[in-house]
Amino acid sequence: MAAYTCPFCRLESDGTATSCPHCGAPVDVRVRVSDSGWEEQPPIANMARIQFGRSTCQVEGMYVPVADMNLAPDDWVYFSHHVLLWTEPTVGMDAMPMAGGWNRMYAGMPLVMMRAAGPGHIAFSHDDPGETVAIPLAAGQAMDVREHRFLVATGNVSYQWYDPGIWFTTRSGDDTETHYPLGRFVDRFQATGPGLLLLHAPGNVFVRDLQAGQAICLQPSALLYKDPGVGMQLHLEYPGGSMGWGSYTNRTVWLRMWGPGRIAVHSVFERPESANNISSTSPATAQRWG
Amino acid sequence: MDRIQCQWCKAQNPPEATSCQTCGAPLDVSNLVTDSGWREAPRLRDMTEFAFGASTCQVEGEIVPVAEINLGGGDSVFFEHHVMLWKDESVPVTTQMTGGGMKRMLGGMPFIVTLAHGPGRIAFSRDATGEVVVLPLHPSMELDVRGHAFLLASHTISYSFVQIKGLANVLHGGEGMYMDRFVTSDQPGILLLHGYGNVFERTLGDGEKILVEPGGFLYKDSSVQMNTVQQQVKTGLLRHGMYLAEMVGPGRVGIQSMYVHHHG
Repeated sequence: MAAYTCPFCRLESDGTATSCPHCGAPVDVRVRVSDSGWEEQPPIANMARIQFGRSTCQVEGMYVPVADMNLAPDDWVYFSHHVLLWTEPTVGMDAMPMAGGWNRMYAGMPLVMMRAAGPGHIAFSHDDPGETVAIPLAAGQAMDVREHRFLVATGNVSYQWYDPGIWFTTRSGDDTETHYPLGRFVDRFQATGPGLLLLHAPGNVFVRDLQAGQAICLQPSALLYKDPGVGMQLHLEYPGGSMGWGSYTNRTVWLRMWGPGRIAVHSVFERPESANNISSTSPATAQRWG
Repeated sequence: MDRIQCQWCKAQNPPEATSCQTCGAPLDVSNLVTDSGWREAPRLRDMTEFAFGASTCQVEGEIVPVAEINLGGGDSVFFEHHVMLWKDESVPVTTQMTGGGMKRMLGGMPFIVTLAHGPGRIAFSRDATGEVVVLPLHPSMELDVRGHAFLLASHTISYSFVQIKGLANVLHGGEGMYMDRFVTSDQPGILLLHGYGNVFERTLGDGEKILVEPGGFLYKDSSVQMNTVQQQVKTGLLRHGMYLAEMVGPGRVGIQSMYVHHHG
């Protein structure tokens, strides 16, 4: 009988192991919640194992963790080829071509995913100090993930992407530049059966549940994942004070997100882009302080 | 009298020791070995100290660690000059050519190494998150190390380089054109590497193979053969496919978890 519900992936286990068998989160830690309501996602303990299908994933290392999978026969995973660290020769690999190639190439996204099929061991890592985040997905459950954060997923998790329609343009003289603070595409992963999605987050990871209508402003590049039901658009904030043009150039471009649903952020993010005047935007709210 | 053998470097230690006197590895912590057989390099405790020759080394910090050497009189260490963090004013430094200067320069490798001579203190670090990997070399050992991973070595170790054989290795292997080779003759020595991210080691049996992303390769015994193999994942848009380094035992292979991917 299930006696323990993991506070991070919300799946049940008997609670006798030191880490959750579904997501690897430590079992014996108290949930650390900031005064503002963010739960700190505890790093997966070194050498913790996660079960999926008849296969396991062991997470190794603390600075730049490695996801080391022991694939059972007939189990397979897919990944972007640049995250492959090592593999046993018994693991079969081939390409999983995807549609939308030119658009993805234009956006700097991987054109080809690779499939790896068991039996055998294969390991993956990203090239940033940070955390591996395991998201077990129930059948039908979907998750939206910011581009370039995906590490590996099981074969029963489908992969699509969509244009989030979040952009703004800046103008300097006759030059107009279009910015995509969230990237050109957002990845959407949806499970057809119980599946596992692994992400790599630079820095530390924090999660929270937004209630219906509850909103929060994020640095766009700090977003790690969100439930598909969480809405988002740009929010421009202009500081007050007698700075003349400065009040227009020293603006902050936020990603405003509202519930209901779960969101996660990571603590390393890209510095905001140049502060030229914004000439047009996708649908956005604005705040100009007096 | 009982002695404790270090599981990392195999040196003998007195029973009361909590870290190895030769490599600094904790002696009171179990080895961390993955299900697939990779052993995690020992996580040196902050301020761990160990000895070599008439000198000592203390490793400080855990995110971007510093190796601080207290050189004894008559001892010296060599290194690439840009990894020097600080030194006592009185510590003399000299330079030494590695040979193969123009070729090494074209390969992006240092062709001059710097030597610091004792007595006195000098400290080293590289500019990335990672681990200091301490590799005591017994007499008559040969170790190959990827370019720019070496932090310092004691003067009893000879330093040369090997050109990576085969056009496919040079063009697609990802380790660059040269690997550093460290050899001991009749005296032991100590070699410190900086591994980016976390470091894992595996000992391959005779003829055993493993495929490694070339950027993840950190070091290997010279007995391990390295070849480049192409994965058959060509598509219209990925014309060159994908190349991995095939390591064939016997011997040790070390990898790092943070690396620059090399496109095919």
